[in-house]
Amino acid sequence: MALGLLRQHTPTLLRHGLRASRTASAAGPAILTAPARWTSSSSVNADEISHFNALASTWWDAHGSSRILHLMNPLRHDFIRSCRSSSPVSSTSAPSSAPKLRYLDIGCGGGIFAESAARLLDTSTVTAVDPSPLILAVAKQHAQKDPTLMSRQKLTYLNASIETLPTPTSPAEQFDIVSLFEVIEHVDQPAAFLDRCGAFVKPGGWLVMSTIARTWTSWLTTNLVAEDLLSVVPKGTHDWHKYINEDELRGHFRGKSEWGAPRVVGVVYVPGLGWKEVGGSEKIGNYFFGIQRIA
Amino acid sequence: MLPQSMDRLIRSRIAAAYVCRSCTRRSQRRLLRDYSSASAAPRPVPDTYDVVCVGGGPAGLSLLTALRANPVTSHLRIALVEAQDMSKTRSWKLPPNKFSNRCSSLTPSSALFLDKIGAWDHLERSRVQGYQEMQVWDGVSGARIEFDWAADSSPAAGTTIAYMTENLNLTSGLLKRLAELGQVSVFDDAKVERISYGEKTEALDLGQWPVVHLTGGRQLYARLLVGADGANSPVRSFAGIEAQGWDYGRHGLVATLEMEGEGWGGDQAKIAYQRFLPTGPVAMLPLPGNYSTLVWSTTPENAALLKSLSAKDFLATVNAAFRLSPTDLEFMHTQGSGQSDEYAWRMEHTPVDHEAIPQTAIGVQEGTIASFPLKMRHADTYIGERVALVGDAAHTIHPLAGQGLNQGQGDVQSLSKTIEYAVSHGQDIGARMSLEPYLSERYAANHLLLGVCDKIHKLYSVGSGPLVPLRSLGLNAVNAMGPLKTFIMNQAAGNGIKVF
Repeated sequence: MALGLLRQHTPTLLRHGLRASRTASAAGPAILTAPARWTSSSSVNADEISHFNALASTWWDAHGSSRILHLMNPLRHDFIRSCRSSSPVSSTSAPSSAPKLRYLDIGCGGGIFAESAARLLDTSTVTAVDPSPLILAVAKQHAQKDPTLMSRQKLTYLNASIETLPTPTSPAEQFDIVSLFEVIEHVDQPAAFLDRCGAFVKPGGWLVMSTIARTWTSWLTTNLVAEDLLSVVPKGTHDWHKYINEDELRGHFRGKSEWGAPRVVGVVYVPGLGWKEVGGSEKIGNYFFGIQRIA
Repeated sequence: MLPQSMDRLIRSRIAAAYVCRSCTRRSQRRLLRDYSSASAAPRPVPDTYDVVCVGGGPAGLSLLTALRANPVTSHLRIALVEAQDMSKTRSWKLPPNKFSNRCSSLTPSSALFLDKIGAWDHLERSRVQGYQEMQVWDGVSGARIEFDWAADSSPAAGTTIAYMTENLNLTSGLLKRLAELGQVSVFDDAKVERISYGEKTEALDLGQWPVVHLTGGRQLYARLLVGADGANSPVRSFAGIEAQGWDYGRHGLVATLEMEGEGWGGDQAKIAYQRFLPTGPVAMLPLPGNYSTLVWSTTPENAALLKSLSAKDFLATVNAAFRLSPTDLEFMHTQGSGQSDEYAWRMEHTPVDHEAIPQTAIGVQEGTIASFPLKMRHADTYIGERVALVGDAAHTIHPLAGQGLNQGQGDVQSLSKTIEYAVSHGQDIGARMSLEPYLSERYAANHLLLGVCDKIHKLYSVGSGPLVPLRSLGLNAVNAMGPLKTFIMNQAAGNGIKVF
């Protein structure tokens, strides 16, 4: 059971309150030359950026330290599908014409989720953002191995944070799915961060995330065992105090009229069997959280 | 910020998104070139496919049919490469009293799979023969057992154990179904010159994509290269996957036989027979009407002799193989001719329970006696980066349990399911990780079956000594331990205990 809660290092953090200079979002092929600018910003923790930068080379090694993360990816799609099918209201109109979905993946890291979302036939576009230029370079390099991703321009990587993206002003600019996979636990002010992310969700669309509960088991497995004792997760990947429990997330959205009732699914990693949905495990370990914007 | 700024931001990044830092301007032009017409490019646009299948036998054709028949995978770009002229296979036809000598026994689960992918109806059904009973006995000790390799429990009386099918009937039916589904690029009558890896340009990195080079210069780039190319699989060699195993020093001799009747149980209760002789098992498997197909595993010398005999002497030796003692049979193999008289004389002194053995073979269809060497091989793995092996490319089994083709069908069923899952979850179907479920589902199951058949062959290749009484005990023990066998099979097939 302890191993079941083993946490993997996560896609790069997204700092709430990141005030990068506007040049970051200006046109130009400046992506790979940007680290100095990001790290010099007072709101970005340079240590954390470099921590994740150091992991860049192993991101797509499915037999390396990212394996558990790769194994989890299909469950993200299953969770999104279960969210979308739970509601008769859709962000896309006219079901007969099978409209395609727009995704915004925040903290995309090496692009494990972004690539997979872009390959789905019912996807219109995927916009994937991450503040770490090195990891984004890895994501782009990897996408070059698949002509399907390259030729249809369904996948766009942006070296940006949610704050540097322009606020959408109409549903056409918003997204059907806004995803925060293994991100929220790295954010300093999660409440404001979530509100900012919510602005990108189209009415009828879903904000989906996965994270881990702040319990003694998660401290034991992710910090003590995974990082200190086994070293299967690089030391310093997790700050247990930033972990967020599902009731805290529920509380954040409660009473906000634009959001529906959340859906929560706990998952456990069982060595040899992979990730499994386990009812109730959201209280003690990894879980998915999805919430629909109803207005 | 203005509403359109988001779009502009994205657009401005698209150009930069896929290029390396030092060559933005040049690569933007190149990107355009690479996706414009081939004539404008210095190198032609790669002809990329999601699946390139080398080998148009039952395994390869079933895989492509399964992928095309499934709405989740039907959009995949598929190519089939086959050395033979497939139009001849597709229009294959024989009169009702002639049967091809290459037959396989299809288990109900294989038949069900073929039905699910819409191919079963395209077989000439009048040429397919189900059988409901199987008689297996030891030629030395006489001990008998009932085998059921097909299902995971003993079949109820009257349940079909397997269907005897000519391989050509199956491939022809699959080709008809595939033609009906359409949209497969077929390169038949085509020779694979070599397989290499693609190249890395500034815009695209196909360095891990296998490229199949056909005679005439055509190049097929494969997201997933499937080796359905038989025991000497060139795809397996390309992937650097070794196959372990050994030659049995035995040949499988096949022939289409005409019998004295349609079988002891009539048309509705056909029986398959197999007798273990010290030289290897001999099997008589029912075809429609009065016909049967013979599969006789024996020494290369014996096979050569059998092929040299007159039809009359050949038939006498075949009938003897199910009736006379191993010693009598051994003597008959020392004669250059005259087996017919020898058999008639020896039968006068051999009591026979006629209903426990096949009816007498009275004719052999001309040109159907053939033989091939028997081997046991198992590839070290079935998958690599952008490579998967199915059927004989992955494993070659002793024919004693009639499992060769069914193992291939099991592979294909598993691989097509694996690909379906990968597609529906946005995975790259060529990535090794996407293919892992196929490997874990099939490898142990196949390994167990290969091992069991191998051990049975070795156990029964002994004519005398302490093993003989022990093995008849073993036969009875195997028969009695059905539930344990079921459990082991289930474990190996990945249907084991569910923790959650």
